[in-house]
Amino acid sequence: MVNAFSCLIKKKVTETRPLPDDEIEQIGRAIKREIDARFGRSLAIRELDAGSDNAAEIEINNLSNAFYDVERFGITFVASPRHADVLLMTGAVTHNMEIATRKTYDAMSSPKFVVAVGDDACDGGIYAGTYAVLGGVDIILPVDLKISGNPPSPTQILTGLLALMRTAGKKP
Amino acid sequence: MTIQVLPDDDAATRAIRQLFGTAAVPPRITYGYNRECSIEVSEPEFALAIPWLASRKFVLISLFCVECFREGAGHSLLYVFERKGSILTLVRNITGARATSIATIFPSATWPERECRDGFGIEFDGAFDTRRLILHESYPAGFHPLEKSFSNTPITTTRDISAADEYLFRKVSGEGIYQVPVGPVHAGIIEPGHFRFSVIGETVFNLEIRLFYTHRGIEKLAEGKDPHDCIKIAEAVSGDESVANATGFCMAVERSSGITVPDRAWYLRTILCESERICSHLNDLAGMLTDVAFPLGASQFAVLREEMVRENERLTGSRFLRGMLCIGGVSRDISTDTLAGFRDFLVQFRKQCKIGLSIVLSTPSVIDRFSQTGIIKKQLLRPLNITGPAARASGGVVDVRVNHPYGMYDRFSPAPRPLCDGDVLARFTVKAAEIMDSLDLIKQVINTMPDGSIKSDEPIRDGCALALVESTRGQNLCWVWVREGKINRYKVRTASYCNWLALEHAVPGNIIADFPVINKSLNLSYAGTDL
Repeated sequence: MVNAFSCLIKKKVTETRPLPDDEIEQIGRAIKREIDARFGRSLAIRELDAGSDNAAEIEINNLSNAFYDVERFGITFVASPRHADVLLMTGAVTHNMEIATRKTYDAMSSPKFVVAVGDDACDGGIYAGTYAVLGGVDIILPVDLKISGNPPSPTQILTGLLALMRTAGKKP
Repeated sequence: MTIQVLPDDDAATRAIRQLFGTAAVPPRITYGYNRECSIEVSEPEFALAIPWLASRKFVLISLFCVECFREGAGHSLLYVFERKGSILTLVRNITGARATSIATIFPSATWPERECRDGFGIEFDGAFDTRRLILHESYPAGFHPLEKSFSNTPITTTRDISAADEYLFRKVSGEGIYQVPVGPVHAGIIEPGHFRFSVIGETVFNLEIRLFYTHRGIEKLAEGKDPHDCIKIAEAVSGDESVANATGFCMAVERSSGITVPDRAWYLRTILCESERICSHLNDLAGMLTDVAFPLGASQFAVLREEMVRENERLTGSRFLRGMLCIGGVSRDISTDTLAGFRDFLVQFRKQCKIGLSIVLSTPSVIDRFSQTGIIKKQLLRPLNITGPAARASGGVVDVRVNHPYGMYDRFSPAPRPLCDGDVLARFTVKAAEIMDSLDLIKQVINTMPDGSIKSDEPIRDGCALALVESTRGQNLCWVWVREGKINRYKVRTASYCNWLALEHAVPGNIIADFPVINKSLNLSYAGTDL
């Protein structure tokens, strides 16, 4: 039976965070410093799949699980491109997604950054030169950073974002 | 595993005898693996066979087109039917790229017919839906990428689409009905697709789904390539079904070439398949709980999933178990020590899963949101070929591992345990139970792992074969035709492709705020559908 009283006396469901990962902590803290300094303590990311095989989405989603929990470093994934600083693109851009991709980019306010995640987004990957795709993201949008991998692991994506933060401020 | 002539009491044998008489014998009939046979039919025979098969409860599991099949000219349509564990393929040679539609008799033919129209330019007479499917309006008219006359090169599409060319959604009108268009870009980190809701107040009256935004031309991409190079293409069909689709592809090539895969390789493949299922199901459980605002349970399963993914990386070097499958076996062995370590890890893992489940299933707010939400009726399973956990939660006893056992599944098959409610709660429960089954299965497989070779060195031979595998979302079908040592046609039909139509039927009657959890309870792959 569940009632208000049993909720009060029953043991709280909690456990310690999974083993701390030194590498993640270090990258995370460095990202936080950069975000604090350059982005007013918050970096908003809009993720967009323009033709990926969903592996990269899964890894980007994993950034929010308790092992990585990137929100504590100031990174948030936002629903609207109008709120976003960074467009995180996955997949080779397909003809069927071209218009939606352009509209999403145009809806973002400047300054804005584009990051390509995964081999397909970087240069078209295995789809380069075929009928259904345009190629890598840089064919239709100015790309600031490419993170290769099939798919890149959450740690590699974070490392990439750190590199972006370090160069972002120095953009003319 | 060998090619077998079907027994007399087999559903496909009886169908052939009834429809084509006792004169239909090999070579007119060709037999395959797993109680499978195919027969070439004339137009009058086809017209007779379709209503007969429908009345005998055959399910159309796939329909696809092949050019110049068996040294003929023109197009052949392959209709793959399933009934009680046996498979009957009707090969229909058509002339002038025209054929009659069977979509009014077999609703699961609707999408494949539109797909053949886009891919090969085949017109179906009597089809009630002739809109484009895989090629959106930006593609030029008369462009059919799967035709052999088109070599796979970049093409020019148009960005200015006239109002006349725009995709027409079903018109739903009436007092108080309004439209809610959603997508292709969604609010979360998710693949693209368009959902057109017709809503009365908060209740969904009709849902129409438009997909194929991530159409990457997978089938054409494989053509002309060496079969060994196509494993990574099969893995790219859908990221979270990498192993299942690679297994399907390898199996089809192995069957057409007569390659016998060593036992140890099949044991290892089974571990990979089941690990993939566990990861995907944990992701679904976490997603469903996120969508009913229960982050306590959701983060529990997300943590377990990450632990499993890291274990996958320790086993194979890839978080998505990629690069392990190869034609004839597996590319790398896993040492006995590593496997023993994995087995020990799973003991603790199983306990944690149980704790997570007991928290969730004793939380009334979760049960309240799950129960009676997004019901898929059992009557829909056969006409739409709904498959996998979604079908098993609606009372269907369908599982490729049980109905068409491949590899080691004739020795280690999971017990079928269908539920009948067909709602989100049933799908949650089925997926949770399947995680436990897969954990037990991996344990058994590791305990009985034989020694020996992990790869057969037999050569690839020309030919074609069909393979069915049970992916995390259900039955995936793969048909491969190797000609002169190269892939001539690679057809893949994932479980997601079938189950999207189930979603269209599950959502109406629910409030729009419940759509995310219903969608997540099926968690279909957009990439695996769009190809």
